[in-house]
Amino acid sequence: MPEVLPQPGRLSSLWKRTRRIRERAVRTVWFCTAIVAVVAIFFILVFLVRNGYPIFAEVGVRAFLAGDTWNPTGTPPAYGILPLIAGTLLVTLGAMAIAVPLGIAVAVFIAELAPPRLRGVVKPAVELLAGIPSVVYGFFGLVILTDWIRISFEIPSGETWLAGSILLGIMALPTIVSVSEDAIAAVPRGYREGSLALGATHWQTIAGVVIPGALSGITAAIILGVGRAIGETMAVIMVVGNAAVIPEPLWNVLSPVRTLTGTLGIEMGEAAAGSTHYHALFGVAVVLLAITLAVNLIARYVLLRLGGPARRARRGHSGAAKPFARAVPGLLAAATGIPAAAVPLPGAARAGRRVSPKTRQKIAFWLMYASTGIVLLFLGVILFDIVSNGLPALSWEFLTAPPRDLGRAGGIGPAILGTIYLVGGAILFALPIGIGAAIYLHEYTRGGRVAGIIRAGADLLNGTPSIVFGLFGFAFLVLYLNLGVSLLAGLVTLGLMILPTIIRTTEEALASIPAGVREGSLALGATHWQTIWRVVLPPAVPGILTGTILSIGRAAGETAPILFTAVVFSRRLLPGSVMEPVMALPYHLFILATNVPGARENQYGTALVLLALVTAVYLVAIFVRSRYRSSARW
Amino acid sequence: MQDDDSILATEHLSLYYGDNQALRDISVRIPRNRVTALIGPSGCGKSTLLRCFNRLNDLIEGVRIEGRILFEGRDIRDPGCDVVELRKRIGMVFQKPNPFPSSIYDNVAYGPRVHGVRNRGALDAIVRVSLEAAALWDEVADRLHDSAMGLSGGQQQRLCIARTLAVGPGVILMDEPCSALDPIATSKIENLINDLKEHYTVVIVTHNMQQAARVSDFTGFMYLGRLIEFGPTARIFENPREELTNNYVTGRFG
Ligand SMILES: Nc1ncnc2c1ncn2[C@@H]1O[C@H](COP(=O)(O)OP(=O)(O)OP(=O)(O)O)[C@@H](O)[C@H]1O
Ligand SMILES: [Mg+2]
Repeated sequence: MPEVLPQPGRLSSLWKRTRRIRERAVRTVWFCTAIVAVVAIFFILVFLVRNGYPIFAEVGVRAFLAGDTWNPTGTPPAYGILPLIAGTLLVTLGAMAIAVPLGIAVAVFIAELAPPRLRGVVKPAVELLAGIPSVVYGFFGLVILTDWIRISFEIPSGETWLAGSILLGIMALPTIVSVSEDAIAAVPRGYREGSLALGATHWQTIAGVVIPGALSGITAAIILGVGRAIGETMAVIMVVGNAAVIPEPLWNVLSPVRTLTGTLGIEMGEAAAGSTHYHALFGVAVVLLAITLAVNLIARYVLLRLGGPARRARRGHSGAAKPFARAVPGLLAAATGIPAAAVPLPGAARAGRRVSPKTRQKIAFWLMYASTGIVLLFLGVILFDIVSNGLPALSWEFLTAPPRDLGRAGGIGPAILGTIYLVGGAILFALPIGIGAAIYLHEYTRGGRVAGIIRAGADLLNGTPSIVFGLFGFAFLVLYLNLGVSLLAGLVTLGLMILPTIIRTTEEALASIPAGVREGSLALGATHWQTIWRVVLPPAVPGILTGTILSIGRAAGETAPILFTAVVFSRRLLPGSVMEPVMALPYHLFILATNVPGARENQYGTALVLLALVTAVYLVAIFVRSRYRSSARW
Repeated sequence: MQDDDSILATEHLSLYYGDNQALRDISVRIPRNRVTALIGPSGCGKSTLLRCFNRLNDLIEGVRIEGRILFEGRDIRDPGCDVVELRKRIGMVFQKPNPFPSSIYDNVAYGPRVHGVRNRGALDAIVRVSLEAAALWDEVADRLHDSAMGLSGGQQQRLCIARTLAVGPGVILMDEPCSALDPIATSKIENLINDLKEHYTVVIVTHNMQQAARVSDFTGFMYLGRLIEFGPTARIFENPREELTNNYVTGRFG
């Protein structure tokens, strides 16, 4: 029998030579993309710090950070950002108090409890929540939420810390749910079976084995959620009142606040380049970077403390998983600043020592169902409001004509096209570079120091608020390179914003492919690139696609980065070249909602169109992804 | 120093995972067209040694190697050595089955494809004989295009063997290939190994003493990263020179 098998033999030298050339060419291409990505990342960081430095020199670090008055246009001007820092932290804290427990509960529900049919509904619903552009959230918050708060609490204005936290909580939910759910679903089936086989209940298995196994992913989810909340600009501007005051008393959730990002969004256009105010805004951006860095470092520390032993447990060397079940609430608290009691996970289960496991399971599951119900309710209310009020505005004219009478009449045609140009351009720019850089970093470097530094830079920018990119685009592309407010400046800014996300999600997708599969291919004499192309990439595609979907949605719905780089409010014609400005849907909605009274119908119409556009992108991508999802899990 | 009938050899090979030394000064010669078994307690470095021969340890961070590893007399760690060709010529079957998440057919055809076989008929033939040789054909003949992830553990392992055979290596490294197999499949694999040694050199790691005795011509006993004793299987089992070896093969270890 073995005689007919392929006989041992050498490869022909021609074959070897072409193969070696191809390998080197591919490697060079990825290396170049990585270099572009790296240069971009570090250039942005250096540029921001460079322009922020003068304010620290001029006003003093202490007075800038701890000064309790922010009034850059007063006489004398005051540059104290303490109220802004307080505003940012408080709003984020409130948002996490809402989003973390709900998000984890929904993730567990989707991954562990929901029958497949229900999962097929809840999961896309949550993804839809992620697809709602932030300016649409802001619009909803402005029209419905603040009104509701004003009436229920009988206060003169509903634009408060509370409104900001609720809105940001809802906005951070999808991130926390999707990333946690992925992490939970990735826990090997053997873990569950091992625990169930020992007679543990389903809930005990979830709390004691599954969640600890997914902890690093869940932590990452929360940190991404925190980043989302800290970084949001437009929705926050629309609902928090923007008074630069520290709430009095500190826990007065009905006080207006102003965030760091909001300040950039409001004042960036007014500050003359090179003025103290200008540098003060860059100083704010540097503080935002520092906060992002701190969040990242905490994340890394948490992951480090978990990662080592957990990974060992995965290799089957020890039963180290157990202590981590106990560590969950504390670590989550450390990562978010939320008291452990707010997390309805193993901690809660432990509190009820005397209750029978069955009852505990019932209570826990009931909490998960309820959480899922609440989240679906959020979605339902928002969608219903936008759709029912927006539909009457829709007509062929509305979709195609340019606006008239400050947008109260006429249509939004140029804004739709402008958005498509911006997003399409940004993706064309960022996707090849981002995926290439990730492949290079993950598959070609062996975790050396250089790769580590690059990764840290990408992580930092990944969590950096989008308005900071807007500031960079405005100061560097528009003013310094003199591109002017233009389509080009806008799409490069947007592209730079989504680049780190694409790098990171691609890397994660690559990392989820087990080493054994790579080894299996290499051991057959496949080349490095053959292995990547045929074995590593195909199962990583759904993950990469997910990252791209999220990026497209984000780019389409973002206002902050294009605010001062690409858009004008009203424009009759389409741009003749990339050097001209465009209209864009999110910006149009923002101005209509905040500056044009009496345009309610067209506001809803614009919101609906923006929502539909982003949702359509998501649906296409989700469909493509589900077609790829046929192969089994590891 | 290379004599004619050894195909693989190491000279004073030491390997460190970071600070942890896993192999200590190992010098061994693997005879051509023979079956060599590596035995020893868990964690003694058998898999590590095996992975040196096809340079799979290259993939692991922080691995440092001292000494020489020779394949047909040439140091495989020379910069001039083509590691891809090396791996084509030295196949490996892993301890844990690691099929690709694609169809059974594509798993087996993968190797030939990456080495340039495009002809459908040729691929079909290779897939078939490889699966037959690995004693899997009868079980999967009618579902070649189903996902390999749906096979049982033992079937997956035989698929991995078929996958390796399909490339036509001269040496096959097997890391406990039978640990997931039932006795019937195991004996099929053992017969296969017997057939293979006419054309192939086989190095097999096993925890099963009887298996080592049944299939191998030579046996090496490893302990705490050292190669304690190496010689013809019969002598190692019946007349070991070292106390440690004796204790291990007679099951009085501890
Ligand atoms: N990737 C790795 N990183 C760090 N240390 C490792 C790694 N792989 C193996 N080791 C260590 O090297 C030593 C030898 O491991 P190896 O896997 O070669 O043993 P083995 O003889 O194959 O054991 P078994 O019979 O259990 O498979 C062990 O101490 C192990 O902990
Ligand atoms: Mg081993």
